[in-house]
Amino acid sequence: MTQYFIRRLLLIVPTFIGITVLVFVITRFVPGGPIERMIAEVQQASMQAGGSMQSAGSGVGAATLDEDQIRELEKYYGFDKPVLVSYWEWLLKVVQFDLGTSSRYSEPVWDTIKERLPVSAFYGIVTMLITYFISIPLGYYKAVKHNSHFDHASSVVVFIGYAIPSYVVGIILLVVFASNLEWFPMGGFYGDEFEDMESIWQQIGDIFYHAALPLLAYVAGSFAVMTFMMKNALMDNLAADYVRTAIAKGIPFRQAITRHAMRNSLIPIATHFGNNISVIIGGSFLIEKIFNIDGLGLLGYESIVERDYPIVLGVLVISAILQLLGNILSDICVAVVDPRVQFR
Amino acid sequence: MSEPLLQVKHLATEFQTEQGLARALDDISFEVNAGETLGIVGESGCGKSVTSLSIMRLLPKPAGNIVQGEVIFDGQDLVQLPADDMHNIRGNRIAMIFQEPMTALNPVYRIGRQLGETLALHNPKMSKSDIRDASIRMLERVGIPAPERRLKEYPHQLSGGMRQRVMIAIALLCNPEILIADEPTTALDVTIQAQILQLLKDLQQETGMAIIFITHDLGVIAELCDRVLVMYGGRIIEQADINTLFDKPGHPYTRGLLKAIPRLDQPPKEELSTIRGMVPSLFDFPPGCRFQNRCDFVQERCRQETPELETYNDGQQVRCFRFRELVNE
Ligand SMILES: Nc1ncnc2c1ncn2[C@@H]1O[C@H](COP(=O)(O)OP(=O)(O)OP(=O)(O)O)[C@@H](O)[C@H]1O
Ligand SMILES: [Mg+2]
Repeated sequence: MTQYFIRRLLLIVPTFIGITVLVFVITRFVPGGPIERMIAEVQQASMQAGGSMQSAGSGVGAATLDEDQIRELEKYYGFDKPVLVSYWEWLLKVVQFDLGTSSRYSEPVWDTIKERLPVSAFYGIVTMLITYFISIPLGYYKAVKHNSHFDHASSVVVFIGYAIPSYVVGIILLVVFASNLEWFPMGGFYGDEFEDMESIWQQIGDIFYHAALPLLAYVAGSFAVMTFMMKNALMDNLAADYVRTAIAKGIPFRQAITRHAMRNSLIPIATHFGNNISVIIGGSFLIEKIFNIDGLGLLGYESIVERDYPIVLGVLVISAILQLLGNILSDICVAVVDPRVQFR
Repeated sequence: MSEPLLQVKHLATEFQTEQGLARALDDISFEVNAGETLGIVGESGCGKSVTSLSIMRLLPKPAGNIVQGEVIFDGQDLVQLPADDMHNIRGNRIAMIFQEPMTALNPVYRIGRQLGETLALHNPKMSKSDIRDASIRMLERVGIPAPERRLKEYPHQLSGGMRQRVMIAIALLCNPEILIADEPTTALDVTIQAQILQLLKDLQQETGMAIIFITHDLGVIAELCDRVLVMYGGRIIEQADINTLFDKPGHPYTRGLLKAIPRLDQPPKEELSTIRGMVPSLFDFPPGCRFQNRCDFVQERCRQETPELETYNDGQQVRCFRFRELVNE
């Protein structure tokens, strides 16, 4: 088993290289790269300047970058070398925890990510906790009360939550509770007075006050799948032979569920756990955008739009590693709850 | 004669299905005496399992319900017994083993825990080490080698035969007065089957428990049972002691079953006789005798009236209008 996981950890290396090479190559050939962008910016600036200076009688076409400048920029971004060579240089730096410098903010990529990661991780982990906290008991109750009024009514709610995209939920929440009723702030990770607050409890309170609506939007999107997974797993297990055996032993029905059927029903949930982790820590850029949260999702999205490739690649590195570790974590969870699973 | 250990009286069980109420058991009455082995035999779907599940009150809820009758055990009617009292009887005074040893044990718990659970449940004062010792002794009794090691294993690490032995061990932990065995050997291969049957016989000798043994295999019945119930379409159609049943089977259906067993004195490769036709579904039984459309001796009366289960010589009970004529043939 330990051997298996060591092997899995080693397999991360080629997978990681595969993913990053792919994206690295794409960034090279997608039009609108940083240099083209800069040229366009300079042109725009000179057009405006030219407009105001026209009376002074200077030429229009003069204000593009000349060859030397472009070559210098190419060198700066490493575009002057073949793709794989510059990939190799990039990789060597990554291994030394140097993700390069953002072309947009001109500060180290790692610093930018380090600032955003805790925000997304906070939302991700709290969302996951709330989701499990709702889904497991709700799924349990729906299975035990299968076909009851409660079961049907809760299914309706769950399906609505599932059918409406979470960013729409976010917008509705924002309009109703922040804009109209003004119960909650419009966005942000914390308020303006955060730095001045006296106790850490006040600060935590402030974070959750700001987090309430986005968390609701996140949870609405994720708890439907888990709830139904829990319910169906438990229903299957309630009909299983070993539950009948347990009852034939003299165990009351309720205890047969909690002691026998529950443990088996958690296996699919555990399988799912690792998949959740990467999605969740990565954050949803739409929800982050709506609630103006400076998280990883939004950062990644904006960097793609702005062609800030060092950041794009940096975010990719982080999320690829999270995804790969999440898969392994999933396997560990499954091995913990299901003794039949043997990894070799 | 002393009181029977278990008396089933006019038991009827129904299932709610998509097509309406299905009466899976109709007017089932029989007795089980202390220390004897009662066989229940019949084709697939005749209600053998439903009978045992009804006695144990293990019918799938809410679909299955006992709608009529009594199950008298130790002076109380199990059908009416409060749930808590039923918990004290199950696994303690009446135990049960099932057909599928592969799925009957919980896959995520160790064997030791699954044995100990029963003991702890019915003997709350028992200490952990006593439970462990008793579990080891029980595994030894059912013929499991290296029981200390087995306690730490999971069900998937055992073979089918071993798992059924574990099931038997769990069932016998609390010295039940009755063991209900619902086709416990059907899923096992023949040599293992013979071992398990021998084990049940030996254990019965030791403990004096009564066994209700359910099977569709008359060969197994012949080996194990003192008395036999033959069921067809949710009804008992014949009840007799083992010798009477094999010497002079009363019901045409029983005769059919007996003829369908291959025998050594038959010329080889001769076609085995079968009972013609198929068992109708619970909704398609005609009025009158339920066996009429497959019976070689059917008369007009069989199609109109339902024959009663009548008692004849040697306590043989048969549900057939023509029993007296046919038995003398
Ligand atoms: N949960 C259920 N819902 C509806 N009908 C059922 C249910 N369980 C059993 N029945 C019906 O009850 C009848 C008796 O079934 P039972 O399982 O007792 O048969 P059996 O004699 O044990 O057969 P087998 O030899 O296949 O085990 C069958 O006709 C079956 O269709
Ligand atoms: Mg059965």
